[in-house]
Amino acid sequence: MNANSIHFTPRRLGLIITFSLAALAMIYLSYSLPRLLPGDFVTAMYASSPVTLSAEQEAELRAFYTQPPDFYNYLVKLVKFDWGYSYAFLTPVSALFLEALPWTLLLLGTAHIISISIGFIAGVEASWRQDSRIEKGFVGGMTLLEGIPEISTGVILLVIFALNLQWFPAAGAETAYAKVSFWAWVADVCHHLALPLATLVLAYIPGNFLLARNSMIMVIKAPFITTARAKGLPSRRIRYAHAARNALLPLVTRFGLRLAFMITGVLVVERIHSYPGLGTLLFNAIQARDLPVIQAVVLISSLMVLAIILALELVYRIIDPRIEYER
Amino acid sequence: MSFEIKQLSVIYKDGSHSIQALEEVTIAIAPGKCLALVGESGSGKTTLGKACMGLLPSNSAKEGEISVNGRRIDNLKESALNEIRWDKIAMVFQNGAVNLNPVHRIIDQVAEPLIQRRLSGRVEANLKAKEALKQMGVTEEHLYRYPHKLSGGQTQRVLLAMAMILDPEIIILDEPTASLDALSKVFVSGVIAQFKSVGKAVLLITHDLEMAAGLADTVSVLYLGQVLETLPANDLLFKPLHPYTLALGRSYPTMTTARDLGGIKGDAFYRLVHQHGRHDQDKYKHTHIQIPDSSHKDGHAPPAGCLFQSRCTQAIDRCKNEKVFLNEIGDHSIRCLRNGIADILELKCVSKRYGDVIALQPTDLTLKCGEVFCLVGETGSGKTTLAMISAGMRNQDSGTRTFEARDMDQWAKREYRSIARRIGVIYQNPAESISPRFSVFEAVAEPLKIHKTIRTGESIENRVSRVLAQVRLSTDPLFLKRYPHELNMGAIQRVCIARALILKPSLLVADEPTSSLDPSVQAKVLKLLLDLQIELGLTMLFITHNIGLARKIGDRIGVMLAGRLVEVGPANMVLSAPRHPYTRLLIDSVRGLVKNPFKPGSELAKSAGCPFVPRCPRLKDICCKTPPEMVNVDHCQVRCHFPLTIDRLYES
Repeated sequence: MNANSIHFTPRRLGLIITFSLAALAMIYLSYSLPRLLPGDFVTAMYASSPVTLSAEQEAELRAFYTQPPDFYNYLVKLVKFDWGYSYAFLTPVSALFLEALPWTLLLLGTAHIISISIGFIAGVEASWRQDSRIEKGFVGGMTLLEGIPEISTGVILLVIFALNLQWFPAAGAETAYAKVSFWAWVADVCHHLALPLATLVLAYIPGNFLLARNSMIMVIKAPFITTARAKGLPSRRIRYAHAARNALLPLVTRFGLRLAFMITGVLVVERIHSYPGLGTLLFNAIQARDLPVIQAVVLISSLMVLAIILALELVYRIIDPRIEYER
Repeated sequence: MSFEIKQLSVIYKDGSHSIQALEEVTIAIAPGKCLALVGESGSGKTTLGKACMGLLPSNSAKEGEISVNGRRIDNLKESALNEIRWDKIAMVFQNGAVNLNPVHRIIDQVAEPLIQRRLSGRVEANLKAKEALKQMGVTEEHLYRYPHKLSGGQTQRVLLAMAMILDPEIIILDEPTASLDALSKVFVSGVIAQFKSVGKAVLLITHDLEMAAGLADTVSVLYLGQVLETLPANDLLFKPLHPYTLALGRSYPTMTTARDLGGIKGDAFYRLVHQHGRHDQDKYKHTHIQIPDSSHKDGHAPPAGCLFQSRCTQAIDRCKNEKVFLNEIGDHSIRCLRNGIADILELKCVSKRYGDVIALQPTDLTLKCGEVFCLVGETGSGKTTLAMISAGMRNQDSGTRTFEARDMDQWAKREYRSIARRIGVIYQNPAESISPRFSVFEAVAEPLKIHKTIRTGESIENRVSRVLAQVRLSTDPLFLKRYPHELNMGAIQRVCIARALILKPSLLVADEPTSSLDPSVQAKVLKLLLDLQIELGLTMLFITHNIGLARKIGDRIGVMLAGRLVEVGPANMVLSAPRHPYTRLLIDSVRGLVKNPFKPGSELAKSAGCPFVPRCPRLKDICCKTPPEMVNVDHCQVRCHFPLTIDRLYES
């Protein structure tokens, strides 16, 4: 299909320009906003320590730890992928970032895959049995679950399974300094993952379920479902190939937006379970007023929003052939 | 494989009350035959189609039997039903594109039943689907498109191909041409005819009467879930027996319809089923027609009679209360207490002479309830005499008159007033038919005062202003006090119409009601008359010398010549293919094709033969000696020895 090949039509060019401008604006905000935080690294560092600094020493430190207001320089460094050094950890920001990213991706990715699969299938099946007792029970239960914030589910799971039953570890992503075989390591990672993952899955399922059910109910009423039934197709085929396929769009949007806001999304859960992902990194950096790290995390998460919105535009066209750019 | 539906009733439950969608519908279709189901929207046509496929929604309840080749399918489980669906019965749903899944390519949707039933592999199924689509005229480039990229006509072809993919024995088509242009319609009709020729049983659901008449063998007319008439398709447009079928035909625009579209008075709504309490609810269960201005919450109004009664032009008291059953009349079966369209007026051999002038030779004339009959002819041909005899204003010398199934002469002798109330008359010259000393109010109210038909609790003023509003005249007190000389001709004619209508007649005789009006006023008054005719369900006898006008308003036309009716038939037939040379002459002279219509000095006119002899272009010996009798040609009656047929018409 020629619709999938790349042409730089005015509309697409416009899209590219819009996205570039948005990216530039975000880079500027990531540069300027963290500077507006009250306090600075030096105050954060020495406020709670017994060390007393003379005014001279303090001024010297401040001069060392303060970036000169130079956006151009910031931009140039950015292009060179030079994100600077963390004040607090004394390592390159990129190293910190790359260390935290896989854990967040692992946690969030699995959470999304599991919650979307379960929520979607439950939603499809429930909507197919509309007005039955099972469906009503499901909707009620899910609405209730949707009302419980992840901060309480997280704490409750932690108290029950980590503190009382001691089935799962209470913190971390892997057992530190353990030299074990690969598979033992995988098992260890999964063991650590279980609680934060369960918290996220419980938090995400109701939304996915309710969304899938609602859009399914709209689709089921469509005449082409009647056609599919008249064709004598098996019920599962009608549910998934005909109805669910059309109910997918809102769910994909939700998935995309969730992914885009991944760092803020996992911040709470990562803190509760002390999971060493991006959320924890951002939290620590803000506490320490570690400006380069804050800037990098803010910048990357906002660029991620842009990238995902762009990707969604492309995915939509595959899901629903009616969405197409005018040529 | 024969397809039968017996006594099928469907009720939709909707909260506290239920809607009766179908009631005891019985139809049967043999292989190679087509049954068309016609009726207004909301009559249950689509419900019937869905019931056949077992696709009724869960809030519905059905009774009765649906069987394919003697095997009942209405009580099958979903899995057993799935075996029959599409394989034995397939359906083409209405509204085209919405029936196709927007996210699958059309070829995949057509091939899907083959693949899912494991009748063929994916590749083979695609080949078969391609073949089926091509047979329906879908071009190669469209095969892999998504539904939203197809036009309405192409979508319909896809739906047809999809229905045919498993080669079913019964095909249900729901409004297959509703949104198509004329050419695509011809294509779809051809496909349906082909289905029939290969031995499929076709159930055609449509509101397109012409297509039903052309394609089907039998037509069932559905109204509010009841079959009102089942008739051979050939009779649908020309010889319907039920007033509803006639009214439908009159509302349907064809290329040959001459008169303006009639429509049917009133509207159909839902039938609600009311249930009182839990026990013995069957005893109290009844249905009635939901109309907007009667909310009828607790259901005590008896709906026992005919469902069409409130919109029928020939309803009598019995129709309101007596339950109506299907009744076989010839090869029709109709649900009407009056056994089909009734004659409101029947004249047999009536003749009239004034001194030695024979104004009317023995003539038969029948007016059917609810129709507009136009009498046309040259001046002196006896139109007004015939009209006045019909209206009971003059008595005939010989012959009988029957009005509303009663002998009119006896009725008039015994109580003239009650018959005068039933027949309204509008006279030729409006200005002269109102007393110049009567104000508008007095003129319109006079019949009420004479007949004393005012019901208690109703004032004459109310009645007068209501009827004036009906004829779109002012009801302002100042206007009511005006005298005829203060009004223009159009307003005077409306006053005359109001006066003719105020007693709520069932027959309106209008003698040249518009000939003294200028064209723009004439157009308005005619439109008004026609609207009133539909609104009140009047029968109208309309006398005019203007053939163009008769063409616009008449259902049937009678042509008069020298005191005789020489041609009677449906307006479009009489005017598009006149059988009598006199009719032809009249039409040609309207068209300006005739230079000299009178041949003076011919004494043959007084001969014993045909009165048209002096002017007839195709004169033969017999014409001068024997007067011709009325003969039936197609759907018309002609008094001519050598009626023109369509072939001869084009020769000359």
